[in-house]
Amino acid sequence: MSQKKPQMQVEQKVPENIVKKTARDTKLREAVAKRRTERLAANKTRRAQWEKNAQAYENEYKAADKSLIDNIRKAKSEGGFYVPAESKLILVVRIRGINTLNPQVRQTLRLLKLRQLHNAAFVRVNKATIEMIRKVEPYVTYGYPSRAVIKNLIYKRGYAKINGQRIPITNNNVIEQQLGKVGIHSIEDLIHEIVTVGPNFKEANRFLWAFKLRGPRGGFIAKRKSFINQGDWGNREDLINDLVKRMI
Amino acid sequence: MTSVPLVSVFSADDSSKVTAKHIPLPAVFQTPIRPDIVSFVHTNIAKNRRQAHAVNPQAGMQHSAESWGTGRAVARIPRVSGSGTHRSGQAAFGNQCRKGRMSLPIKVWRRWHRRVNIKQKRHAAATAVAATGIVPLVLARGHRISQVPQIPLVVEDKIESYEKTTDALNFLKRFGAFEDVQKVVSTKVVRAGISKQRGKKYRVRKGPLVVYFNENAKLLKAFRNVPGVEVVNVTRLNLLQLAPGGQLGRFVIWTQSAFAHLDKLFGTYRYTSIIKDGYQLLRPLITNPDLARIINSNQVQEKVQPAKTTKVLHEVQKKNPLKNTKAMDRLNPYAKKQRAAAVAAIKANTKGTKKIKKNKALKKASRAAYNKVAASLNDATKAAVQEEQDIKVKYFSVQKGAAQTE
Repeated sequence: MSQKKPQMQVEQKVPENIVKKTARDTKLREAVAKRRTERLAANKTRRAQWEKNAQAYENEYKAADKSLIDNIRKAKSEGGFYVPAESKLILVVRIRGINTLNPQVRQTLRLLKLRQLHNAAFVRVNKATIEMIRKVEPYVTYGYPSRAVIKNLIYKRGYAKINGQRIPITNNNVIEQQLGKVGIHSIEDLIHEIVTVGPNFKEANRFLWAFKLRGPRGGFIAKRKSFINQGDWGNREDLINDLVKRMI
Repeated sequence: MTSVPLVSVFSADDSSKVTAKHIPLPAVFQTPIRPDIVSFVHTNIAKNRRQAHAVNPQAGMQHSAESWGTGRAVARIPRVSGSGTHRSGQAAFGNQCRKGRMSLPIKVWRRWHRRVNIKQKRHAAATAVAATGIVPLVLARGHRISQVPQIPLVVEDKIESYEKTTDALNFLKRFGAFEDVQKVVSTKVVRAGISKQRGKKYRVRKGPLVVYFNENAKLLKAFRNVPGVEVVNVTRLNLLQLAPGGQLGRFVIWTQSAFAHLDKLFGTYRYTSIIKDGYQLLRPLITNPDLARIINSNQVQEKVQPAKTTKVLHEVQKKNPLKNTKAMDRLNPYAKKQRAAAVAAIKANTKGTKKIKKNKALKKASRAAYNKVAASLNDATKAAVQEEQDIKVKYFSVQKGAAQTE
């Protein structure tokens, strides 16, 4: 029969540093977890809003298409013609390189964000911009982009200018951070603003870096001649879409 | 007041006996360790033992050599005058020449010695003394001190009266210092290089340094034949001995009176030194070495801001949303529904799967009928071909018969 020896009572002392550090760490961890749950909840509501907006825009586009067709049919039935409004938006693509440029032309191209060959940019149509484009006409080709082309450009080649840096638009935070204050929160909002040339078109377009396109698959016809003369430069109206589809 | 580290004085005869317990450590041993000062002072002070030497000023120049000038298809270096020997016409004088004088011949008036500021020398000595009290530094220097009872090792003054080397040896053995001496003995090597022919045959390591105080001490004679051991008076501590090679942490054996004299020599943090007039020991940059405690203290933590998180604005790699569904859904949650709607539309256009099956059966039946017709056609064509061949054979054989008759 072995007698149990009396155990020495030793207090378990935890070093002061460790006690302080664990207290601090748990506090930080809880704060992080709380922030995370808040962020996730906020994200949920945001995503719902994006979806709602995108759906609204889709309906708007469908309605616009339908109204165009209806107008044409109506005009035809009355024996007349329907002339749709001139496009408010132009897509300009630079087709000439950087060598031997007239300084005024060089500067104007820079103002249009076209600093490099095959750069493309959206431009609002008004007297001022028309004059600018006329100045650089032999060095660019331009036209009226379709909705699909605008959408594809922004999705595939969309980069933002943030703090002078070219940041890819991989999530809507990139857009929210810069354009949230003008009411553009998601990529569909941005596309809608460009397509309809809305009240905040300036901010939206300024946000976008110039689209860096590749050379067209199948090539140009003749960059030395104007489009009207079976060449490439100048206004090619709706046919810009075919070109850009080959360049995107 | 903070507590002062204490040191025991050991009896000379018995290493387990302590004659004086708890003597306070002199302030020198609290000096911050400054290897940069020691290294600087050592490199300069080590030059002061040098003896002037020079090359013979006439070496390589004892010719009447003159350059032949241009136009003789030889280099323009001065050439030895005269004739009748190989040497004539050979290049001379230049540092590049064989038998020429060296470039920048060494002169005796080269600046052999270096002066160092007194304060720097004193700081270096103080640091070196402090390092002798730090076990890891002494071990790192290479001393074998695992059996030594205490670092710094302080022994009663009795050893100052040792006259015999045997006494000295036995003393070292008692205090575990003999291992260091053995190291010196066993690692004595013949020096590499020419200096072995110039009186420096052996390379010998440094062993313990014995520091005494009383000028009449006889221990120098007792210890001087023990290999590796050096003996020095505390008033004449030498950086070249305290930190040989600029390396801190010599193994030092102090006598009690020498140890007590250190406070007068170097002064304390309260009083400047008496002997080194007005010298104040180096003050450390931080007095509390417990960084963990400082960082975790309430005073510091109150002011500290939370750690910055790396806020990533965008994914590192851009994926094409037109091809990558995940990337698309991230940007446009409505896209999922649009895709589903498109698929549903396609399905709605194709009216069910029954029609396909019916077509298959039809296809099978029609194929069977075709094969039947093809087979009968086949037979017909075969018969026709055979008929034609028969006619041909008949025709040709008739002709052949005709030819033969003619």
